[in-house]
Amino acid sequence: MNTETTAKTSQLESLHRTSQRKKAIKNAIWVLAFLAPSAIPLLIFKIIPMFASAWVSLHEWNMIAPMEWAGFGNYTRLLTSSDTWAVFGHTLLYIAGYLPLVYGGGLLIAVALNQKLKARGFLRAAYFVPVVTSWVAVALVWQWLLNPKNGLINYLLSLVNLPQPGWWTDPTWAIPSVILASAWKDLGFVMVILLAGLQAIPQEIQEAAAVDGAGRWRRFWNITFPLLTPSTFFVVVISLINGFQVFDQVYVMTGGGPSGASRVVVSRIYDLAFRYGEAGAASALSWILFAFILGITAVQMYGQRKWVNYA
Amino acid sequence: MKKPPRRTALFACSVLVIAGLVAGCSQGSATNPDSKPSQSGGTTQTIVRYMNFSSNDGHEADLQAIITAFESENPDIKIQVETVPYADYAAKLLTAVSGGAEADTFELEYASFISYAKSGALADISGIDTSAYTPSLIKAYQFDGKQYALPESFSNVVLFYNKDLFDAAQLDYPINSWTWADEQAAAEKLTDKEKGIWGDYQPISYNEYYKAVAQAGGQFLNADSSATAFNSAAGIKAVEWLTDKSGTTMPTDADGANTPDFDTNLFTSGKLAMWHTGIWMFGTVADKAPNMNWDIVVEPGDTQKASAMFSNAVAVSAKSKVQDAAKKWLAYYTASQKTIDTRLAKSWELPPVADQSKLDTYLTLTPPANREAVFESLNAVALAPVVVKQQEMQDIINDELAAVSAGRISAQDAVKNMQTKIDPLLK
Amino acid sequence: MRKISLRSILLYLALAFGAAVMLFPFLWTVITSITPQGNLSDGPSLIVDNPTLAAYTELFDSIPLPRIIINSFFIAILSTLLQLITGSLAAYAFSRFEFKGKQFVFGCYLATLMIPLQVLVAPLFIMLTKMQLNDSYFALLAPNIASAFGIFLLKQSIDGVPRELDEAARIDGAGHLRIWAQVVMPLTKPAMAALIVFAFMESWNSFLWPLVVIRSPELMTLPLGLSYLQGQFTTEWNVVMAGSVVSIVPIVIVYLFAQKHIIAGMAHTGLK
Repeated sequence: MNTETTAKTSQLESLHRTSQRKKAIKNAIWVLAFLAPSAIPLLIFKIIPMFASAWVSLHEWNMIAPMEWAGFGNYTRLLTSSDTWAVFGHTLLYIAGYLPLVYGGGLLIAVALNQKLKARGFLRAAYFVPVVTSWVAVALVWQWLLNPKNGLINYLLSLVNLPQPGWWTDPTWAIPSVILASAWKDLGFVMVILLAGLQAIPQEIQEAAAVDGAGRWRRFWNITFPLLTPSTFFVVVISLINGFQVFDQVYVMTGGGPSGASRVVVSRIYDLAFRYGEAGAASALSWILFAFILGITAVQMYGQRKWVNYA
Repeated sequence: MKKPPRRTALFACSVLVIAGLVAGCSQGSATNPDSKPSQSGGTTQTIVRYMNFSSNDGHEADLQAIITAFESENPDIKIQVETVPYADYAAKLLTAVSGGAEADTFELEYASFISYAKSGALADISGIDTSAYTPSLIKAYQFDGKQYALPESFSNVVLFYNKDLFDAAQLDYPINSWTWADEQAAAEKLTDKEKGIWGDYQPISYNEYYKAVAQAGGQFLNADSSATAFNSAAGIKAVEWLTDKSGTTMPTDADGANTPDFDTNLFTSGKLAMWHTGIWMFGTVADKAPNMNWDIVVEPGDTQKASAMFSNAVAVSAKSKVQDAAKKWLAYYTASQKTIDTRLAKSWELPPVADQSKLDTYLTLTPPANREAVFESLNAVALAPVVVKQQEMQDIINDELAAVSAGRISAQDAVKNMQTKIDPLLK
Repeated sequence: MRKISLRSILLYLALAFGAAVMLFPFLWTVITSITPQGNLSDGPSLIVDNPTLAAYTELFDSIPLPRIIINSFFIAILSTLLQLITGSLAAYAFSRFEFKGKQFVFGCYLATLMIPLQVLVAPLFIMLTKMQLNDSYFALLAPNIASAFGIFLLKQSIDGVPRELDEAARIDGAGHLRIWAQVVMPLTKPAMAALIVFAFMESWNSFLWPLVVIRSPELMTLPLGLSYLQGQFTTEWNVVMAGSVVSIVPIVIVYLFAQKHIIAGMAHTGLK
């Protein structure tokens, strides 16, 4: 190589580099402009309070007296306490039952209601109503349906000679009772998201496949489902994030009982913060929960490449 | 074509958003009141904020009447009320205190008084004249020898009974000298599950338990409150007393117990013969079942009588800048003649006054006829244990009692579990 | 004429049965609200002896309902608009720009969903009190100006919009703002409509934060107002259920409005 060409290339390269840098700066400005409207409020109203709660988690604090430094005392105490593992166990059990039910049911309804049907608008609204019905009414109806003595569900079970559990009055069946009510209530939520996803799938693809003679079932598995994976991914990630923070339904349905058998992580956090005067421990438990959720979400984000189809 | 309207809509939206954000920054009337000098006197009015739960759902006008009377006597003070429903009050007060934004004066339950006093959130109001109050109630709100709150009201628990059901079963009405055994025997005869009639209802909970321990002749805590003392024959008997009824003479959870207002509806619909509940229910029962014949007696004891008493208090925030006006308001609000009259006339719990003659009008009101039982109950009171980790202790006891009533563990084991879990909380 | 197959009959039957099951608690709420002295412990019944609207009049007498509803609408509409704007901008950035640390930034966004609100209310309240912004509309709005939930929802949807459409617009001389406003936004209508429903609902139902931050009666929102109907010792359930009906109806209306767009979304994609 002769020196002249080298010089030329390097000149060109530097020119290229400056133009590239200019481009990069321009790109960065655009990114900032698009992200700032959401990043600033999230930073101030979410992330700063999060850091504050991390700071609180290193203290003893009953929210009344000044904080007292405790180092990692709250964490070691929580991690060695059987109560903590019990509430995590209940929460995981809840998620294990809730997620398949709510996703499977929501998908079924979304697909059914995505067809051309009479009264489709009404049906779509009807399946959404539970999402907005107050938990107080929902909890009472489910307590009544799942009543061990004279509830409808145990009556139906008795007709087919199946064992009739004690549901929310029995420690083993308290979480399953909450799962049933929650999945039922959230079906409409999943339906709305999946319907939005289904709407984005061009009809022509379906029609083309139908012309090719693909059956309903094959069309669903080979076309609809793969194109629905971004929505599915969203539902799974969000349901896990929310599922780990389940609280309201437990609070109104079982109050964490019987004898604490359905107490979940956030019930414990609520008790520690607002009832037991241990806001420090509540914050520490929240960060332990955070680590769990973050880990699981990170695994999903990493794993999505393998199964989520983007356009 | 369709662009202009869309742009207009977008523009309108952004205007709305910006206007909303800007206008939204001004604080509400409770934080930024117009503190104009009052025209009449020409002096500035001192505003005293008062936060409470007990006036919600029925006594708002009664509280307002007391405030109006106070303000006309003290034209330089204006009371600004914030009412929060009972269920959310604890969380609201706690966060308000944590942010230093609590009201100048606020209401406290006896159970939470100690943690607020201990944490330095309450102003020392020791100088105040306490001679008019019931001495035991005044003492209840002292900490470290200082007065940190004033008793505001008290109420207690008695045995309500349905005379019609006793008549139908041809049984004698309960009397003050009844024991657990008498109640049990009557409850068994009164229960008629076919007709959906139950003999007895008593919540299976901490508040009943500490009282039942005392009724059985036991102690809940040891003398210096450093450990529990209910792991005893009396403590076990108390557990059995509460839990054995469930499913025999008393409805279980599966029968509907613990659904909202279940016991109230059961009693007022004439399907419950005996009911352990508070005198705060007088008005509700009278309203809901005007034609039912019912009365009250002192709760049966076992080896001795012991009745539960609940009280609420009011305190001045340690951070309040209007301490004197705040104290003046609380003194008036707790013990003035206006307050006494209002509370008695409206069945709004009982004023904490020492002079029983001031409560005479209460006795003349009916139903129930036997209102003397309310005061006779006070002759033997089971004081609620004073524990800083109050809620945690209550949850532990409630969990264990529920396990016994469902037949999952024995009373002995429950008492042992309660002891091992609660003793460390008392350290 | 379409022939009516056994399959479609079964489908209709199943869907109708499902709809009945879904609507039942709401119906029961309505029925309890028109039952004199309605109580809940007897279990649901579908027959009312003397239906009355007394609970609704009592509801209006017990709390300043019109003001409360206006507040709730104001906050819910504003926070929905803000979330749509901030959310679709951020979602566009995450979907269409390449930049260093994108995954990390997106992770930080999602992380804001992972801490329970229960431990954030105290720090947030202390912060807003110091800024003298507690007890204001702004305080109600603050945690809902942007939501990672909405950003994630929209990002998934924008990822599904073919990039060729952006390129075509770029060749026509469109910048990012125009591509965002005229290409991407219209194509993600179904997801935006879904976000409208959820953002509105989130704000409309929010309870713990308004409870902590609001103390002036004139700033109260609906869930806060309705909580005043529950007494310490007894509750008039017909009034509570009337309140519940009043709070459900507006969300159903928002849903019905948004539903049209969830369905109509396809019409505008240009992919026909």
